[in-house]
Amino acid sequence: MSVTDRFDGIKGVISSDSRSRKELIEGILFSLPYLVIFGTFLLYPLVMGGYMSLFDWNAIDPTQSVFIGLENYAQLMADDGFWNALKNTGYFALLTVPSILVVALGLALGVNRDIKGKGLLRAIFFSPYILTVSVTALVWIDLYSTQYGMINHYLGMIMANPPQWLQTRLTAMPAIAMTTVWWLVGFSFVILLAARQSVPEYLYEAAQLDGAGTWRQFRDVTVPQIRHAIFFVIIINIIWAAQVYGQPYVMTSGGPGKTTETLVMYLYQSAFSQRNFGYAAAIGYVLTGILVLVSIANYYFLGGDNE
Amino acid sequence: MRSVGVHVAMYGAALLFVLPYLYMISTSLQTQQEAVSEGMHWIPDPITFAAFTNLLTGSLIVQWAINTLIIASVTTLLVLLVDSMIAFALTRLDWPGQRYVLGLIIASFMVPGFVNIIPLYILIADLGLLNNYAAVILPFAAGPLGVFLLAQFFRDLPHELQEAAQLDGFSNLRIYTHIILPLSKSILTALALFIFVWSWNQFLWPLIVLQSEAAYTLPIGVVVLQDNFTYQPAVTMASALIASGPLFILFLLLQEQLMSAVEMQGVT
Repeated sequence: MSVTDRFDGIKGVISSDSRSRKELIEGILFSLPYLVIFGTFLLYPLVMGGYMSLFDWNAIDPTQSVFIGLENYAQLMADDGFWNALKNTGYFALLTVPSILVVALGLALGVNRDIKGKGLLRAIFFSPYILTVSVTALVWIDLYSTQYGMINHYLGMIMANPPQWLQTRLTAMPAIAMTTVWWLVGFSFVILLAARQSVPEYLYEAAQLDGAGTWRQFRDVTVPQIRHAIFFVIIINIIWAAQVYGQPYVMTSGGPGKTTETLVMYLYQSAFSQRNFGYAAAIGYVLTGILVLVSIANYYFLGGDNE
Repeated sequence: MRSVGVHVAMYGAALLFVLPYLYMISTSLQTQQEAVSEGMHWIPDPITFAAFTNLLTGSLIVQWAINTLIIASVTTLLVLLVDSMIAFALTRLDWPGQRYVLGLIIASFMVPGFVNIIPLYILIADLGLLNNYAAVILPFAAGPLGVFLLAQFFRDLPHELQEAAQLDGFSNLRIYTHIILPLSKSILTALALFIFVWSWNQFLWPLIVLQSEAAYTLPIGVVVLQDNFTYQPAVTMASALIASGPLFILFLLLQEQLMSAVEMQGVT
């Protein structure tokens, strides 16, 4: 409720009866265009998806769909393909979220120092974020290429057998994760840099007077002061990781041996290759459930110390 | 000494970050023979624009660029309009129920876009919108982000202006168009850039609803190109440059506004 409370201090003008009716009508009229789109393309499909997930959905003639209750969900629990995709997605999140946090924080603290060309560095570190996922993936396929790729060209100078990045079970997902860090870290970097820049300098001066070194200043001043930004970065990157699709779709098509097939890929396959719409809708609902839990955990961690 | 270390680390990292760009540009200017040969050829020899001319004559990339531009532009304008209108209604007007509307919109932050993909696809197909620009524009035009950012901004605008305007007999519509919107240029610009970039870059959803080659956007098109230009790195990199070049130019011109749209999301 705290979020809506923040919008309460706005009702400055005392209103008479006729005015308040007019404001009600105008309020609705001003809200209507958004609410129509919101209702049609967000709320309705959300409810519809839940409904579909209870059916053996007939894609050709929906009236022929058979109600099967929670059967889709039960099937899901026994489906190796689903568990594999869930495991891969979790692995991807585990590889990317901490890496993005550490790299973004390192870059942000570095750029925040007394350094020449701050603006240029900030722009460079942010810039990959404005690429589309398919361009990112295509460029990195070439960089990872074992025939003419840049990475193995230089690795080959220092090691005998550089890995076949995207072709090997062991390295395919880490390779996709590395690409993802490069692509997305700019977003988190900009947020953490802004947070760090808003920490008042006197806190550091006070810490120095107390004899705190660089590490103590980082641990006792920086981290507590920017913890909201850190949490936000963690949560948004978990949400993105849970929905990863484009990078593995373009770079590996889920291979080798389904080691990079993610949940959204599996959902897409179920719907558009196997025409199993009800089943796919159930996968979507399970994912939403997981992400809602993440959001709630977020509020729980941040709860109590909202200024 | 420490300052030197920081400079080395940061500029070293910056070099790593731009290497993929240098690779893209260099490879796109190479001959097919050079592009697939072993070793790195940072300076193309000879420099050729063959990959670009191949693309322009042998693919629909110009059409895709037009599609992408139209979709991203219309999405941006639509989002700015409907988001600013409802944000105005939620913060500058006083009517019962507005808190619930705002709460509902904020709660929708938790709904990941893809959970809706299946029912949305059926809806779009039923409406006869497959392969239509509207299929890409409409479904994500009512996201919560813009409403949230604008509502926070509008809420903090001074009330004296609005009251003075009301005394002068301004209608609420006029207050919205003549007072609130002009005062909000900075945030509207930032939001517009963010939405434009986001819409230009959409991948999964256009892939589902745009099924004919003439209707593709650039992000989809460059992947499909791989089938026609198999194993031709120069052409692939040229297409990647065409697909991302316009956004890079936009970024160079308006980077502060774009990054401020990101910063605002962090302080929510």
